Amino acid sequence: MRVGIPHFGNVYIPVKAMAQRLGASDKDLIIPPLMSQKTLDLGVKYSPAEACLPYKLTLGSLIEACELGADTLAQARGTGICRLGYYAKNQEQVLHDLGYNAHFVTLDVSQHKFKSILQLIKTMCNDAPWPKIISAFRFGIGKLFALDKIEKVVQKVRAEELGKGEANQIYREAIKAIDEATERKEVERVTSECIDKLSRIPREEKAKPVKVSIVGEIYVVIDPFANMDLEVELGKLGVEVERTMTLSRWVKYSLFLNPLGIDEWREVHKVAMPYLKRDVGGDGWESVGEKVLYAREGYDGIIHVAPFTCMPEIVAQTIMPSIKEDIPVLTVLCDEQMAKPGMITRLEAFVDLLRFRRKRRKG
Amino acid sequence: MIQQGLEEIKKQAPSEAEICGVATTGSARYLAGVVLSADLIKNEITAHAVAAMHYIPEVQTVIEIGGQDSKIIVIRDGVVIDFGMNTVCAAGTGSFLDHQAERLNINIEEFGQRAVESKMPVRIAGRCTVFAESDMIHKQQMGYGTDDIIYGLCQALVRNYLNNIALGKEILPRVVFQGGVAFNQGIIRSLSETLNMQITVPPHHELMGAIGAALLIHEEMDAGLGETRFKGFEVSQTNFRASSFICKACPNQCEVAQLSVDSKVLARWGGRCDLWERVGK
Repeated sequence: MRVGIPHFGNVYIPVKAMAQRLGASDKDLIIPPLMSQKTLDLGVKYSPAEACLPYKLTLGSLIEACELGADTLAQARGTGICRLGYYAKNQEQVLHDLGYNAHFVTLDVSQHKFKSILQLIKTMCNDAPWPKIISAFRFGIGKLFALDKIEKVVQKVRAEELGKGEANQIYREAIKAIDEATERKEVERVTSECIDKLSRIPREEKAKPVKVSIVGEIYVVIDPFANMDLEVELGKLGVEVERTMTLSRWVKYSLFLNPLGIDEWREVHKVAMPYLKRDVGGDGWESVGEKVLYAREGYDGIIHVAPFTCMPEIVAQTIMPSIKEDIPVLTVLCDEQMAKPGMITRLEAFVDLLRFRRKRRKG
Repeated sequence: MIQQGLEEIKKQAPSEAEICGVATTGSARYLAGVVLSADLIKNEITAHAVAAMHYIPEVQTVIEIGGQDSKIIVIRDGVVIDFGMNTVCAAGTGSFLDHQAERLNINIEEFGQRAVESKMPVRIAGRCTVFAESDMIHKQQMGYGTDDIIYGLCQALVRNYLNNIALGKEILPRVVFQGGVAFNQGIIRSLSETLNMQITVPPHHELMGAIGAALLIHEEMDAGLGETRFKGFEVSQTNFRASSFICKACPNQCEVAQLSVDSKVLARWGGRCDLWERVGK
């Protein structure tokens, strides 16, 4: 069995770590090359034009995995109203038509997540003993948490650093080092070294950066390739970025706390209630609720990222202007037609808007 | 182009004039900014808003229609609170009219005047430029008058603008209309008929972006930013060379543009990552 996975943020790092701990060789787990224009071109070529960007990118990524010889593919599946429900089925058919007879194993991300992920791991590692699986799982998840911890710091430093790009350089090196680490101790050491390095970057002392939160559809919110390095660009403009959605948070709640009855979105759904009373698929309901919460927390603005043609986020986008809490929102639609200069012009204008607004409030 | 422009300014400016600050705006703002060693590089949305507020302080809505770009800027109490810009289609912009004027064999300059004379505008499907053209030909063949067809086109553009760029934005008076298309009387007529509001076209409406950028740099220099970085009008004689190459560092194969003087690279941009931008510095 040669398992291939599609790319989504840093997901490949914990997956690789787990596989290595379970004794898998390079041949057993196939990580396709990091997403590039080629991935996107492949995905676009074999997708219907109106499919969403996450569909196209994961398809492109899976094709690249098949090119490297993967015969089993892992993909997410859902039961909601979002198109994710048919990603795996459709992609399996497309790959079949292309001549790759890959078998799909799916991970249910809507319900029974804990059971689903355990089953997935069990299938993938040929019934390894549980203690070994659990130890491998912990090691992999440890890397994920370390990466997200560093990213939180990077999001702050980028806004204030004097030599723009330094924080990102350190972050990129840390991703590589954590990916290569073979021991938990090493992961911890790299993490603290990296955070230390970040704290020593010369910063603008009087900077009171504009604070923006990023909400929207999880794939384009988290994956920097999908959103054209949105957070890096905001950092260059001196904006501090916060986002609730991270992979480690998803893991923490979906796998450990949701089964205990703790719902991380309860508060968000509650405040969304006056505007939207039900799940509309994907992350639409959450986007609405998050606008309310971030406005209350005193953020300067919200960037709402959504794949072009994403129904749940279109619902959210349409509802947002009616929300009583007043906070500027810029919706960024991501698809293969998106051009970076256009995005940057809008971001710059949005940041100007936020700065004027802040000045006006103070004065 | 920039160098030619600079020559023109040099000719027209009084000899004792002192350049205190230089700002660039528009989609070539980064390139122009490097060439001129600009003190400020500002996006066109902010620049347009600033200029509109300068001329018409009580403005609440700015409609800007240019060649390929069109925008709406929502202003309340002197602060920009929302904006929109066309994303995927140029059907709501000046190019649309240019194209149709060409087809009708009419000078774009007299296009607007002809539209004003229309008594019974023809309804033309304007969602897409290509379909608009076939619909227009159809109407021509049916024997409708040219003036009425022209005004129909103006209405199609306005409908398109209001349904796309201005979708979901609250349009309150005063409405300021700027950009090159504001020369067109037909569009002004259609906008005021559709919105049922008076439309104000400020002086120099086609240069509002530049004026906005100039106002901003003026303000910053007044606030004491110090000396300008502008190197003087001699820049127009410097031999700038713009070139591009495909980066082969990863499969993205980005096209990276660079600007150089004598073999010294001044700046690079256009890549997906910041690899070359950093090298350029």
